[in-house]
Amino acid sequence: MSQDKLFPVTVVGSWTRPEWLVQALRRRQAGEISAEEFNRIADDAVLAAIKYQEDAGVDIVTDGEMRRDNFYSFVVDKLSGMRLMKLSELLDYMKDRAGFEEILRALDVPAFAIKSPIAVTKIREGEAGIAVEEAKFLNAHTTRQTKVPIPGPYLLTRSSWFEGLSEKTYPTREDLARDIVRILRRECEALKRAGVDFIQLDEPSISQVVYGDEAEQTFMCAALGSRSDPADELEFAVRLVNETIEGIDGVKFGVHVCRGNWSRKEDVLLSGNYGPLLPWLMRMNVSQLVLEMATPRAGEVDVFREYRNEKELGLGVANPRTDEVESPAQIVQRVREVLKYFDPEKIYLNPDCGFGTFAERCVNNAETAYRKLQAIAEAAEILRREYA
Amino acid sequence: MAEEKVLNGLRVEKINSILNSMRDDKEFLGAVTGPWKSRVVWQGGFKAKAYMRKHAVELDEPEGLDAADSAASAHEQLLSAVGSCLTVGYVLNATRRGVKIHDLEIALEGNFENILKWAGHSQSGNPGYPSIKAKCFVRADADEKVLREIWQAAVDGSPVTQTVTRPTQIITEFEKV
Repeated sequence: MSQDKLFPVTVVGSWTRPEWLVQALRRRQAGEISAEEFNRIADDAVLAAIKYQEDAGVDIVTDGEMRRDNFYSFVVDKLSGMRLMKLSELLDYMKDRAGFEEILRALDVPAFAIKSPIAVTKIREGEAGIAVEEAKFLNAHTTRQTKVPIPGPYLLTRSSWFEGLSEKTYPTREDLARDIVRILRRECEALKRAGVDFIQLDEPSISQVVYGDEAEQTFMCAALGSRSDPADELEFAVRLVNETIEGIDGVKFGVHVCRGNWSRKEDVLLSGNYGPLLPWLMRMNVSQLVLEMATPRAGEVDVFREYRNEKELGLGVANPRTDEVESPAQIVQRVREVLKYFDPEKIYLNPDCGFGTFAERCVNNAETAYRKLQAIAEAAEILRREYA
Repeated sequence: MAEEKVLNGLRVEKINSILNSMRDDKEFLGAVTGPWKSRVVWQGGFKAKAYMRKHAVELDEPEGLDAADSAASAHEQLLSAVGSCLTVGYVLNATRRGVKIHDLEIALEGNFENILKWAGHSQSGNPGYPSIKAKCFVRADADEKVLREIWQAAVDGSPVTQTVTRPTQIITEFEKV
């Protein structure tokens, strides 16, 4: 993908969902309407999401993930062998129930509200792939460049291999990972053929490895399945990402890492600078790291000193979870800090994360989300004039 | 023949009939009233086993008390008993009102007031829970006002909750064998 502008403006993925779309999603999940009926309703929501982005000045748009329940659980509708299970259904299989109970109480959420795709038999993709139909609809309705976020291979492996449920088909996580990598590789090739400019692999579970507590099992950052030693986990994640995209060129790949986007309470989200993660992220053969950098939780930017210009940075410059809209001047200031370590052509601007990572728990409304994108686009214009 | 209506896993007509029998049939009311029984048999260490009708439940204490932690403790099972009774009450009242429940979960917790009394280090105070928190999470097909009314009815009508929220005399007896 060639990008002729400096400081291209993009989004991380999801747009906030209107109530009528959430209602339709619930009806589809309850089997009251078909997937086709739901998609017809969702088409309007996607068109609105595209329009908001275009009007705000976004250069690389997504479909707002409007057809998805959340950023990774939607794969259960696309892959046979996966079952969407509530945490309350998984309690019987958990090794550390007491640890889970503590997290549930800290977040004040019921176990039934947290769902994860679990591999229960051999997973196979359908004809339509995972996000190819979304991509085709998006490309048919915008002239802008397009980005499609898909769950990364580590996220999918980590969240969907669950002891007691998966090992009959997949004795180890490694066995499941092989199928996931194969399916995601095919998906990336299909997305490229569909004309997508930018494929973003969502890998928030990596954050849990570094910034989460030491519990072997957790559900923070979609990291439901068990983990092993942090260094082994990160090595595993690097290998899976690289195996997924190896040899696929002609499309930009990015990896998105964030530390939680389900609550407006900053203190329940993970925090810490990117220093401990960067050695591994830099070894992922992607062009861009899409990182949340708009809040103090992201830590200092000096951690990039020794990785100057090694990758493009999808710089998070707006907090998707607040009512206050960042000013263009604030955003410009944040970019200036990062320009110490990245050339202007290496920096893309985006919010920290999506505005509706979870369809039923969007973190903002469309009006505020739109104004945040506008502010980012205005900041990009200021920077372009300065650095052209 | 008309299909039997099932809501929340309950046969609506059957449950209404049972509730009416409690009101109209003294013998049935007597059977539901009690006595309810449990026999608890020591299993060694802090372990015990409770037998109730055809059921048995194991109890133990946490490892921190040098126990095997092979089962939940009595004080945890008390919380569970309150939560389970509230669950039953919620489902009953929702079903009576024709409300479909998708998910229901109750999170309970309590802190002992003076556990030193249990440990024999204190003669005063209450070794038990002075209060218990019970938070209900529900996803159901009704507006919040109706769902809150159902919750209140469940709390007010819960035999276990109402037992622990008011003074209950435990009539103890003892026999050396």
